[in-house]
Amino acid sequence: MTAASFHVTQDGQGRRHVQLLGQWSLRAPANDFGKLKKSLHPFFVDTFTKWDLLEVEQLDAAGASTLLSGWGNKLDSNVSLKPEHTELFNTLMSLTRPPTRKTELDWLSPFNTLGEGVLHLWQHFTKFIHLLILLLLEIAYLFSRPQDFPWREFSANVYKSGVNALPVTALLGFMIGVVMGYLMSKQLHTFGADVYIVNILGLSIIRELGPVLMAVLIAGRSGSAMTAQIGVMRVTDEIDALTTMGISRILRVVLPKVLGLTFVAPLLVLWTSGWTLAGGAFASNLELGISYHFFFNYLPLAVQPINLTLSLIKGLMFGFVVALVACHFGLRIKPNTESLSNSTTSSVVTAISGVILVNAGFAILTRGIGV
Amino acid sequence: MSDNIPDQDIICDIQNVCTEFGDNIVHHHLNLKVKRGDITALVGRSGCGKTTLLRHIIGLTKPKSGNVLLFGENLHAMERVAQRRQMNRFGVLFQQGALFSALSVFDNIAFPLRELKQLDESVIYQLVMHKLALVELDPRDADLLPAEISGGMVKRVALARALALEPELLVLDEPTAGLDPDRSHNFIDLVKQLKKSLGLTVLFVTHDMDTLASLAERVAVLEDRHIIADCTLRELAEIDHPFVINFFQSIRSRLERL
Repeated sequence: MTAASFHVTQDGQGRRHVQLLGQWSLRAPANDFGKLKKSLHPFFVDTFTKWDLLEVEQLDAAGASTLLSGWGNKLDSNVSLKPEHTELFNTLMSLTRPPTRKTELDWLSPFNTLGEGVLHLWQHFTKFIHLLILLLLEIAYLFSRPQDFPWREFSANVYKSGVNALPVTALLGFMIGVVMGYLMSKQLHTFGADVYIVNILGLSIIRELGPVLMAVLIAGRSGSAMTAQIGVMRVTDEIDALTTMGISRILRVVLPKVLGLTFVAPLLVLWTSGWTLAGGAFASNLELGISYHFFFNYLPLAVQPINLTLSLIKGLMFGFVVALVACHFGLRIKPNTESLSNSTTSSVVTAISGVILVNAGFAILTRGIGV
Repeated sequence: MSDNIPDQDIICDIQNVCTEFGDNIVHHHLNLKVKRGDITALVGRSGCGKTTLLRHIIGLTKPKSGNVLLFGENLHAMERVAQRRQMNRFGVLFQQGALFSALSVFDNIAFPLRELKQLDESVIYQLVMHKLALVELDPRDADLLPAEISGGMVKRVALARALALEPELLVLDEPTAGLDPDRSHNFIDLVKQLKKSLGLTVLFVTHDMDTLASLAERVAVLEDRHIIADCTLRELAEIDHPFVINFFQSIRSRLERL
């Protein structure tokens, strides 16, 4: 195989003859059409140059198109071709030209984008409400036909989003507990208020940190998994297959996920809060010498038990929000990889924002209770 | 199998390939040569390791032992740049098309051309339009996404992408699976025509007897973990092996119709 090359001669009238040699195709591994085009540029701009392609061994569409673009997309009498190559050039010249796109500055475009964004958001909101109503209808249906409850999927979801999440929530909870306990011990010790470490850690962890930490973790862990799973089920037509078997997709896909996570989330809150408190107790034991026995005996006195109820209710709500948001975005996925990744991201971001929003609302509503 | 073919005419040379999946031996000292300019079909029972062999050839997997030489070189023994160059010399059409779902038809076909980093956008545009015309697709379809086009179109776009660099070897995995008889007939004509105009060597796997009878010039039969026959379709009649006899009976009537 010989790489593409060219040879230049000059005739008596000062005209240049360019003779192309070798393989003008992508098949020759040594060819670089970018470089060839650059080195041929002085001859392309000179309209008197004669082109001789009679010695070319092989010419493919890439080679022909590169030459053609140099010649301004036309063949003239300066070019001598092999008959079998003429056809290729004619085919290439007969193809549609790229549309000339005019990029005009549109002053209204920011407003358009804003308007589209608002409409998009509104659409999501109505679809979300729609999904919520469908889910409630399915639950109402289950009251009349309890034997249709998808127990198997429900327990699978409890296992996947609950049991499998135990190690990671415990580890992160414990580490955050240690860090908070350590910093607060330092501060309280300067005021000689060592004992209050139990109050401050107990209240903040049981009432706020435990539920929110759990919600963030399951949004990242189970929420994203749910969105991706439903999305792939849509891409591979599994959802349609379910529907054709007369099985409601809401009942079989959405409901077990939402109820499963709602059921297991309060238990995860207890578990996470427990480990975070353990981390706090560990740090205060090291830093302030407060015994574990004292820490956990004094805890029920320092923190009113109603806070535990509040945190369990929060767990319920957060689990519900995360799962429902995940299902909502999962059902909106279009069959391509870009949409899958966008929807999974949106699902996690929206779920976490939703959780924080719900938490803020709940904090305002319950501001007089238990503090 | 004739051993007196000059080396540069052998596009693909499979020597003593053994493949095992756990306890399941798929290929046992398998040998096969594909000659330049041939249209070779690889046939065999479902699950006999045809697709696995195809994946060895295009370098996606490596056999447990033995050599797969493509254009006289082992893909796995090359350094990266040379390997990439070598891989541009063949095009693959996967069974499901394997189009990039996030890219439009145009961008899918332009992808291998852009990756070369030699051609400017106007040339790439012209080449993509050329490939679209080759596979008889409308330029207006260029902006569609793979999810928006029919199965037959997906195959043709995937073929256009496989042909984008005008490779020497075209590897097709079940080229007509999922196409209706009319479409698969057109598709076969298209491959034959492209073979003539671009000077391709074609290697394909199929279960469809019509595709086999009308497209294949040679056939390699994979059975009992190695190639038991590598000859033209009509020469199959002379081979005495239960699978081949059965197999030939089912294509004989089709051959006679041609």
